[in-house]
Amino acid sequence: MKGLILKDLLNLKSTFKMLGVMIFVFAVIYIPQGNGFVFGMIILMFAMMVVTTISYDDLAKWDAYALTMPVTRKEMVLSKYLVMALLNTLGVVLALIVGAVGSVIMGQSFSTEVLVTIGVLYLIAFSFGSLMVPLIYRFGTEKARIMMFLCALIPTGLILLFTQIKIPLPEAANPLIYFFLLLGFTVIMVFVSFFISLRIYSNKEF
Amino acid sequence: MINAIEIKNLNKNYQDFQLKDVSFKVPKGSIVGFIGENGAGKTTTIKAILNLVKRDGGTIEMLGMDTLKDEKKIKESVGVVMDGCNFHDNLKTGDISKMLASIYKNWNQKLYQQYLKKFKLPENKIIKEFSRGMKMKLQIAVALSHEPELLILDEATSGLDPIVREEILDVFMEFIQDEEHSILISSHITSDLDKIADYIVFIHQGEILLDQEKENLLSKMGVLKCGEEDFRKLEGDEYIRYRKNQFSFEVLVNDKVAIRKKYPEAVVDGVTIEEIMLFYIRGGK
Repeated sequence: MKGLILKDLLNLKSTFKMLGVMIFVFAVIYIPQGNGFVFGMIILMFAMMVVTTISYDDLAKWDAYALTMPVTRKEMVLSKYLVMALLNTLGVVLALIVGAVGSVIMGQSFSTEVLVTIGVLYLIAFSFGSLMVPLIYRFGTEKARIMMFLCALIPTGLILLFTQIKIPLPEAANPLIYFFLLLGFTVIMVFVSFFISLRIYSNKEF
Repeated sequence: MINAIEIKNLNKNYQDFQLKDVSFKVPKGSIVGFIGENGAGKTTTIKAILNLVKRDGGTIEMLGMDTLKDEKKIKESVGVVMDGCNFHDNLKTGDISKMLASIYKNWNQKLYQQYLKKFKLPENKIIKEFSRGMKMKLQIAVALSHEPELLILDEATSGLDPIVREEILDVFMEFIQDEEHSILISSHITSDLDKIADYIVFIHQGEILLDQEKENLLSKMGVLKCGEEDFRKLEGDEYIRYRKNQFSFEVLVNDKVAIRKKYPEAVVDGVTIEEIMLFYIRGGK
C-alpha cells in the first residue's frame, strides 16, 4: 500500500515543481491586492491531482500490472483515497503557508474569513474527489472529466436561477451551521464514495 | 507440490469468445510454451490465472495453493511480464525499486541492481526515453528481483530483435536451472520456444488442442511429402492434418518412424513448432 502511494507521489514530482512556480507567481500578483482567489486556486489544483494520477495509471496500463503483485483490489482503491486526502491536505497546508507569509509581508493580520474560506474549500476538495473517483472507475478519465463539468454546472445554474427569480436563499443566524452541515455531508460523501468505488473496482476486468 | 500451475476445466464466456474447459499443468522445474494465434485465448487464460478477469468455472492452483483463496501469498512468489511496459513514463529505475520495496516482502535491491547492470539499463534516464528492448528488459529485471518461484510471461519477447531475445532467453534458462523454478511463457514467436520450452501447450479458439513434451512432439511428428495417390493410401489414424499444395500433399504424421518403415520410398521430414501450429490451424483433417 505504501508503495502505491509512493508511486503516485513520484509520478507527480514534475507536476509539483511546475505548481510551485505557478503558486509563487500567483501569490506575488494577487496577495498584494488582498485577493483570496489564490488560496482557492492552490487547493483546487491539488484537488485535481488525484484525477491526474489515475490518468497516468491508465496511460501505463498500471492497474492490471499492479494486480499481478501482492496487492489486493481493496488496497488499490484505498490507496487512491489516501492519496486524495494527502494531496488535499498538502494543498491546504500550502495555502496556509502562502497566506501566513503573505500577511507577514503585507503587515496585516490573518483574517478569520480567509481561514473559513480555506476550511470550506478543503471540504469541497474532498467532495469533489469523492464524486470524481467512482465516476472515473466506472466511465474512464475522459468521460468522467465531462461529467465533472456537468456536475459543477448544474448547482451553479440552479443558484443563478434562484437569485434570478428572487427566491430567497435560506439564511441561518449562525454561518457556522453551514460549515458543520458541509462537514457532515463531506464525511458521508467520502465513505459512500469509497464503498461505491470499491464495488466497481472489485468487479472490473482487466 | 509437483506442479507450479495446475488449471482444471477453466471456463470463461465472452459474447464472441469462450475459453472451453481449458486444462493444463506447468510442472515444477520446467518451461511451458503456451502457443496459439492472436485471439486464441492465451492472454485471457493468463489473466484468469492471475485473477485479472473473473472465471466462469474451473479451478486454478499455483504453487500448490488455490488462486482465489491465497491470492496475495501466491503473488509474492510470482513474477509477471506482460506485453509492453507498465511503468509510468516519468519514473527512473531507482523510483521503481523504492516503490516495489514496499510492495514485495522479499524485494532484493541488490539483485535488481545486478540485473540492471547485466541488461545495461541506464539509471539516470526516465523510462519514456527507453527503447522497446530496454523496457522489456526492465520488466524482466523487475519480475526476477523479488526472487519468484514462478515466472509468467505474456508475449514478453515479441517485438524484440533477435539479439535481445536471445539475451532474455538465456536469463530464462538460468532462472530454471535450480529445478525449483518454473516458467509459463506465451508467445507466437515459436522459434524461441523451439529453443527453451520443455512442454508445448497449444490453444486454438479457446480450446487446448495439444499438450505434450516438446522433445516427444518433435521426435515423433513429421511431415510427409507425397502425391495425392499416396495420400489416399494413408489410414485415418496415421496422420493428423494435411495441406494441399499445387502439385503435392504435405501431411503432418503422428509417428514419422512408423511411416518411414511402412512407406520406405516416402520423404518424411522433421517438423518445427511453427509448422505444427500451421498444420493444425490451416490444414484439413
